[in-house]
Amino acid sequence: MLPLLLKAVVVGGLAGFAFAAGAARMFHAPEYQAMGAFRTLGEMNACRGDPIAHLSFGASFIPVTAIDAVAVGGIGQELWHRTVPNVTAGLLLLKDKDPDRTFKNPKAMAPLGALVGAVGMVFYMTMASAVPAKMATIAQKVMVPAGQAMMDYLMPIIFFLTAIDGGVHTGVASILYGGFAQMVMGNAVPGCVMGILVGKAVEVDGWKRSTWILVTAVTGLFIAVAYFRGFFTTLANLFVAG
Amino acid sequence: MENKQDTHKGIWWHPLTFPVLLAMACAAGFGGTSMQLVHGKGAFGSVVLVQMLNTALESGNFAVLSGYAGGFLFARFLEGPLVGILDIGGSICTGISFGVTGLMLAAGWKSVLTNFPLALLCGGAIGLGLGLVIEAVRKGGGFTTSASAATGMMMGAGNSIGAFFGPLVIVTAIRFSIPAGVGAIVGAALMYAMKKPIVGGAIIGAMILGTLGPIPA
Repeated sequence: MLPLLLKAVVVGGLAGFAFAAGAARMFHAPEYQAMGAFRTLGEMNACRGDPIAHLSFGASFIPVTAIDAVAVGGIGQELWHRTVPNVTAGLLLLKDKDPDRTFKNPKAMAPLGALVGAVGMVFYMTMASAVPAKMATIAQKVMVPAGQAMMDYLMPIIFFLTAIDGGVHTGVASILYGGFAQMVMGNAVPGCVMGILVGKAVEVDGWKRSTWILVTAVTGLFIAVAYFRGFFTTLANLFVAG
Repeated sequence: MENKQDTHKGIWWHPLTFPVLLAMACAAGFGGTSMQLVHGKGAFGSVVLVQMLNTALESGNFAVLSGYAGGFLFARFLEGPLVGILDIGGSICTGISFGVTGLMLAAGWKSVLTNFPLALLCGGAIGLGLGLVIEAVRKGGGFTTSASAATGMMMGAGNSIGAFFGPLVIVTAIRFSIPAGVGAIVGAALMYAMKKPIVGGAIIGAMILGTLGPIPA
């Protein structure tokens, strides 16, 4: 238990420091590179620098994260791009109402964010560790077949459909790359993802030099994967053996 | 305005600050995945992503995990320098923590990840490298605008998967046992009534009521 909690403090501290500083920098983007999310920026602006609004908004994601932690041990992104920035901002605003000295200032946000992140990680890890063994077994036995079905059928189908709904460029590219990926990698998802990227590049940018580079790189990558997985040998054997 | 100039001086606004922050974030992401591999908890993902990692570990096929999560990293990484905000959900929580580590697991480098200090160092180095590239790209004028459109579509697919996964868990819980199935149904209904994702309620419900019955072989 102790190694786990020590690791939780390190991971939570590092992530909290970086993400709180990144969130403060969002108010200075795009002049300075920030990290966070546009949704987070909007949510933080909506709290209008009111400490209670920030604190309660950040805390409202605690139950959702706790469920992820209890069910599979995961810490959802909400801790990092909602709870940490907003709770840190709220705590700073309790003492000082000036946005430039508090939540827009990485120097003030980062150290306190590290504390919030570390406390959050320890809290969720303790909670996940408190799950009784029989419950954990049931969760695993229910989740394994669900996870298998998700990876084998659900995700390829959803990605194919998303690409097809996205228009003719992404649709054609994803069916080609996705189909090939299913053949050589055993799953269409990586191919569909690349198909969406390539299709959108062709649609938005046209056949520019950057598009050609992307198409060549992606095609080359897939051919290399096929080669190293022995796909061409299998293919050749089909004809030789017959 | 001259006041604003003064606040943007010092270490917090140095061009190298962002790569250092990204290095810390990526080190933490790798550390979380390391904790997940060793202790079964701690990775930076919701139910769907962590289950993807577990299924990949069990089957030994990391194509979906690294393809899905790596695709997010790639798209968000192209978009980040362009818009000035690097999306941490797609790039770090999904892309670095599951995509890059998935590639490493597929390559058989599990021992790097199960060693916690080594995992932190490795994640930190990758983050620092990515941060330097992002700052360099910003100076160079940014990548293509098509990445934003592509991420939008992938976000949509990711949300659909999350939505489909809830009912799927209800079905597998019912196939597992009747008590677990009842728990999943009640938990999912409660979560839906509270306007939260139903997948969490379905699992917790199945876990709680499932203990009332035996565990089928």
